Amino acid sequence: MANTQQNDIQNAKIQGLLARYLELRSKQTPPTELLSHLDEDTLNAFTEGRILEREAIPVVSHLSDCGFCRHRTVELVRLDMHFADLDEAVPFQDPASEPVSVSSVLSGILSRIFGTSEAAVFAHEEPKEETEDEAADDDESSEK
Amino acid sequence: MSPTHTDIDKLLESADAEITSIFERCSENAPNFGVRKDCFVESLKRTIEKYLVPASQTPLTQNDISEFLSQLQTDDLFMAIGCSKGSERAWWEFDQQHRSYMERVARHLAKTEIDAQEVIDQVYVELYGTRVVDGERQSKFATYSGRGSLRGWLRTVIWHSIVDLHRAGHDEVSLDEMTENVGEGAAQAGFAEQPIGGEDAMIDHLTRERYRKVTLEAIGKAFGSLDPHEKLLLLYYHREGMKLREIARLVENEDSPLRGWFQRRSANRDKEPSSRIHESTIMRWLEKCYARVLETFRSELTSVGGLKPEEADICMDLALEDLAGGSIYQNLTAT
Repeated sequence: MANTQQNDIQNAKIQGLLARYLELRSKQTPPTELLSHLDEDTLNAFTEGRILEREAIPVVSHLSDCGFCRHRTVELVRLDMHFADLDEAVPFQDPASEPVSVSSVLSGILSRIFGTSEAAVFAHEEPKEETEDEAADDDESSEK
Repeated sequence: MSPTHTDIDKLLESADAEITSIFERCSENAPNFGVRKDCFVESLKRTIEKYLVPASQTPLTQNDISEFLSQLQTDDLFMAIGCSKGSERAWWEFDQQHRSYMERVARHLAKTEIDAQEVIDQVYVELYGTRVVDGERQSKFATYSGRGSLRGWLRTVIWHSIVDLHRAGHDEVSLDEMTENVGEGAAQAGFAEQPIGGEDAMIDHLTRERYRKVTLEAIGKAFGSLDPHEKLLLLYYHREGMKLREIARLVENEDSPLRGWFQRRSANRDKEPSSRIHESTIMRWLEKCYARVLETFRSELTSVGGLKPEEADICMDLALEDLAGGSIYQNLTAT
């Protein structure tokens, strides 16, 4: 009983000391810009626990030294947990819908980015039939 | 010696039956993606060259290749290859399956709806690729290896885009601050020296300084003696403030090397190889790390620092006392 208590005290001491040592150590770590960081693919594979042991050895060593990448893995784990339920959700697919073309999706995006939109282009087109109809209506209304 | 292209080609040739089986299954699941087998193999080869080869000095073996293939997210990779090659059907499937998810992730991370939309647009453009090198469009999909899930990869890409977007608007703020990095690169706080008065006090001060110096050295060596995965666990818990359940999530995959290293000596692994990792398990792993640190710490103080066991206790007590008063690290920083 006494031994257990003594061990608990020792454990508490070493945890406190370790925590402060790690805080100090992180301040003495070389600037993160001097390190080459892990790429997106590796960060994702690591946070999902899907890299091979062969790859994991240098990755884990890097994460022990690089607070920047380590912090990114933490953020990604939290993001993963936040969206865990959505991961399993099967997206709704309208069986009647047809594949949109890559170009139409991208042209919409590009137009949003660069300021010209398909809508704007269409706005300059003059649908002949409608225009003629409208013109006829106008004529009729003016005659009245 | 690192393997040559020919070595990797030979390994891939030897694994042709496995690769063909994966490719045929993917083609059956998505017959309209138009992915050719040579493109599929080329993607695998690129990943092996980029990640597996440089990871170790040990030559790649057929087992490494088999393990790599068995863990691949093959359907996700197949779709990514289809998209990178400009397959309309692959893009349509991708858009159907992932766009709303990507938008939710972006909205969760971005400050405004406009930022979220801007990031999604930017990511789509990157995924398609606007740069052409040697007549080939450089799609970001080509950087997806299939090691992790496509959704996880997309989350990572979006997260980075959000950080970049935020940085662009705050040039003066460091990346560490931007990612709310806790500690790294932070300026060290200045500590005032304690006033020293009288001869007895000075002797006491010098004695304490000696103990503090050896304490710091011992704790540094104790931490340094841990395996990298043990260090990482302690850093996640103490520096990054990860919760036990978050660490458990990180090792949820039963193939996770981190999990394997911690469980290697555990009898439970054999009994329940696919058992879920509970928070209590993570706590046990941490306790093992503490025990190892404590053991090495005490050993360093006594055998290397030349202290008697009771002096080692004094060091611990001093450290604890200083921790309570927050003064030990003014001295530790000077060592």
